[in-house]
Amino acid sequence: MRRNTITRLVGLCAVLGGIAFVVAYFIPWMPETGSREGGRIDDLYWLASIISLAIFVIVTAALLYAIVRFRARPGDEEDGKPIHGHTRLEMVWTAIPAALVTAIAVSSAVVLVKNEDLESGHRVVEVRAAQFAWSFTYPDLGITTGELRLPVGEQVELELESDDVIHSFWVPEWRVKQDVVPGTLQRLIVTPTKTGSFALICTELCGLGHAVMRAHAIVMAPEEYDAWAAETAAR
Amino acid sequence: MSAIAHGDGQRHGDHPPAAHASSRVPPVLVGMYLFIASEAMLFGSFFAAYFFARVSVGAETWPPEPFELPVFLALLNTIILVTSSFTIHWALQSIKRDDRAGLIAGLGLTFLLGLAFLLIQAREYTRLGFSPRDLGFGSTFYGLTGLHGLHVFVGLTLLAIAFVRAVRGHYSARNHQGVELPGIYWHFVDVMWIVVYTTVYVI
Amino acid sequence: MAVEALKHGHGTAQRPAAPRGLRRLTRGGWLRALWTTPLGFGLATALVCGIRWAAGWEPIWELQVLLTAWTIITPLAFLAGMGAFDYWAYWVSGRRTRPEDHSGHGADSWRDYLRVNTDHKVIGVQYVVTTFGFFLIAGLLALFVRAELAQPGSQFVDTQGYNGLVSAHAALMIFLFIVPVFAGFGNYVIPLMIGAPDMAFPRLNALSFWLLPIAGGTMLAGFLLPGGQFAAGWTNYPPLAEVNPVGNLMFQMGVQFAGASSILTALNFLVTIITMRAPGMTFWRMPLLVWANFTTSLLVVLATPFIAGSQFMLLLDRVLHTNFFVPDAAGYAIGYQHIFWFYSHPAVYIMILPGFGIISEVISTFARKPIFGYRLMALSLVAILILGFAVWAHHMFVAGMAPWLRIPMMVTTLLIAVPTGIKVFSWLATLWEGKLNLKTPMLWALGFILMFVIGGLSGVYLGSVTIDQHASDTYFVVAHIHYVLFGGSVFTIFAGAYYWFPKMTGRMYDERLGYVHFWLTVIGFNLTFFVQHYVGLQGMPRRVADYDPSFASWNMLSTIGAFTLGAGTLVFVYNLLVSWLRGSPAPANPWRARTLEWLVSSPPPKFNFEEIPTVVGGPYGYGVPGARHAVFNGDRAGTAEPEEVGAR
Repeated sequence: MRRNTITRLVGLCAVLGGIAFVVAYFIPWMPETGSREGGRIDDLYWLASIISLAIFVIVTAALLYAIVRFRARPGDEEDGKPIHGHTRLEMVWTAIPAALVTAIAVSSAVVLVKNEDLESGHRVVEVRAAQFAWSFTYPDLGITTGELRLPVGEQVELELESDDVIHSFWVPEWRVKQDVVPGTLQRLIVTPTKTGSFALICTELCGLGHAVMRAHAIVMAPEEYDAWAAETAAR
Repeated sequence: MSAIAHGDGQRHGDHPPAAHASSRVPPVLVGMYLFIASEAMLFGSFFAAYFFARVSVGAETWPPEPFELPVFLALLNTIILVTSSFTIHWALQSIKRDDRAGLIAGLGLTFLLGLAFLLIQAREYTRLGFSPRDLGFGSTFYGLTGLHGLHVFVGLTLLAIAFVRAVRGHYSARNHQGVELPGIYWHFVDVMWIVVYTTVYVI
Repeated sequence: MAVEALKHGHGTAQRPAAPRGLRRLTRGGWLRALWTTPLGFGLATALVCGIRWAAGWEPIWELQVLLTAWTIITPLAFLAGMGAFDYWAYWVSGRRTRPEDHSGHGADSWRDYLRVNTDHKVIGVQYVVTTFGFFLIAGLLALFVRAELAQPGSQFVDTQGYNGLVSAHAALMIFLFIVPVFAGFGNYVIPLMIGAPDMAFPRLNALSFWLLPIAGGTMLAGFLLPGGQFAAGWTNYPPLAEVNPVGNLMFQMGVQFAGASSILTALNFLVTIITMRAPGMTFWRMPLLVWANFTTSLLVVLATPFIAGSQFMLLLDRVLHTNFFVPDAAGYAIGYQHIFWFYSHPAVYIMILPGFGIISEVISTFARKPIFGYRLMALSLVAILILGFAVWAHHMFVAGMAPWLRIPMMVTTLLIAVPTGIKVFSWLATLWEGKLNLKTPMLWALGFILMFVIGGLSGVYLGSVTIDQHASDTYFVVAHIHYVLFGGSVFTIFAGAYYWFPKMTGRMYDERLGYVHFWLTVIGFNLTFFVQHYVGLQGMPRRVADYDPSFASWNMLSTIGAFTLGAGTLVFVYNLLVSWLRGSPAPANPWRARTLEWLVSSPPPKFNFEEIPTVVGGPYGYGVPGARHAVFNGDRAGTAEPEEVGAR
């Protein structure tokens, strides 16, 4: 490849990379982060985004350059250069993607293990899903409610069970999701870091009420939570 | 040349040129092997369901109380089916030597053994004491053995056709694909039974 | 050149005289099907009601059982009526086999496309036209879906109706468009490309095609049933699938017919490619389209039985009340998902590998260059084939399966990016220093590369277990699947449709309308699906009839995009229909391509070749002086033995 081809390609990459960066960085693609696990997942999301955008930019630049530069002029019926391959180049584009996906795989595995590391003495809430409602039982309080209330900053293990078909538990701000399967006990570990009321959404098609199968997940300051727990348990 | 080549070399406008045979194995045989591979995968899906019911659900004993499986009756059936693999082999070897009597006897014997297997299986079903509706265990048991029984039935049908054609003298030392193909299928049914028997009854 | 001499054949075949009077009712064809089909229906009804009456089961008229019997027996009776089983019935009756007289072969008029035909070219056209018909129907369902989602709240269907629309859209697109349309192109092109006069098993080939309209009809019939269409998604997970109304059966049975069709065709492809290649056509001289179909067919033959098995078990659970997947009776609901995805993940490759083949042909031809790294291109197909069997559980990262399975499945999943990357980079390298002719097929191929890369990269996000915990079951997944299945597969299908249109019809399409179609589709497609990445990550789950009002404007954009896409498709249909009727005649080789199908006239003669060509080099010898792919024996004498080209 001649030098000015490389210069042009790099220039094209820079322009496209700039656009991609603006689109990726200034649009808030993810909702705000509301859990410790979600923070780790966000880091991973950015790693994947950087790699993906780099590859996308290179492919697009090469494609656009080829379309403009190598387009046949009208009436040009000649063939291109009979290049059959280039072993070193082929090895490069086998090895680099392999290394990149390995990086993503390893860091995902690390995040997964960290996110599922249970502290001793953690809080447990039993979550029941049924067509088309959620209910939450607090074994330590001996009560059942229709909305999930948790204290902020404390790891909780959700034990999920279903009465009928498969549902799925998801709070977008928490980033974690788990299908709720009848006949099995599923677990989900989350450590909320932000107070407020979040939407709890069923994400597995569960029948005609699937779209409205929602509940609130309310994360409270510890003292507020204790007050709520005492008041509700007394009732 | 190859089995697809029907033309006589001359073209009348409605006959194709003979295809070039790029494999030494005739097309029908390649087709049969691929079909069997596909069939084996169908069994695979039922085996998968079986192991899910057995392992993932976590039954304490297998078969679950109070069900029992007639292991020895099934062993008898296994012996019958294995024997039939030898008889079908004998039939094929006979026609390769142009021995039509051997072919007919071999095919007939194989058919009878296969039929015996099916009848014993049917009798076993009526005396098991559980139905396909009894737990995931019953469903997967009947699923696997039933799927196999269905294959025995198809195999018997093929054997019956081959038998009729053998009696009518359609086969010879040079032309015996009509025996070879059901034969391969029959061996597959037989091997599959050994796998089913080992999985379901023995371990 | 031998091309001129090959033009005879069409219309010269001697067919037995058409029977007259009542005998027309007994010969295979529509008239016979007209009475065998109701007969089968009646037989099924009598069988079910008779058995139930004799056994004393109440009620005697049980719709679910009747539907099972109807959907098994009626189609078989129809096929028997059409004559799909005539020869085999003859064989089963124990009579002597007779040599093939080719009376069912070829097409002299449009009527020959409507009967059981054994000509792979006719079957190819039957396939492509039928599947595009289902594409339009399924596309219409998608427009209904987008119309319903244009605004939050309920527009014009209730939620169960909506679930039915979504499920039917997906099922038809997958099982009746993308999977079989590739079988259609393959049917038409593969025998020509490898220098064979037909497929290995022409009668089986005809049967494979006729199973398709049955599969589609079965699925569409679900809309007419009490309780409505199957509405548990195209994945049809139990227990929901087992408590769904009876329409669910129509998915299960439809999949059986579509699956059988696809297995039989794949088997036919494999045998044809293995046993019928022209002399000199070694595996390393095969066009990449043939390679692609070879690997795809292996996937189909080995994986499709699993979806058949999964639907059989669902059917048994529903009709016989067995407990394969019933959690209350020690069945394992997640087991279904494993079995289902053991097919349906390879199915993703079944739906894209043949497209890779088409793109390789188109790019090489229109860039006037040999495929860069031909052998690695073929080997990467094989790598995808093997890895494809070891990734199924990545659809189940949050499904509650055994947790230890997640990391191995993530690793294999992400590794698939490597062979896929090799293909993309090799296509780019093929373009490099070429002479790009931007004809319509080439536009689609270039558009495909870009769209497919986006889909592939969002796949990397989903392949990571932890990102998937956030993104799975959201609109991000919807966006991903459409970037790989529409931006990927459907773009390749359009590329293939324009590329081989002259060969299949003998007419040229309108280039300008081709451009219009391309740009409308690209704009509409990206408008529809790119925003879905965003709403998905923000928290919109998939398969919902209603959504949070904060997503309203994005969904409106998506709907506008979808209707633009629909308009583009109408241009496509108009272009091809009018060109088929009135287009200018196509020369034998309008693209100056080098694979064997372009050596014969457009459309090719009835038996493809006057004589089987001899392959003397690789298929992509562009720019190589004196390179030839194949010669006919007739003009071989004049040519010095050319050097081998193409395969490096």
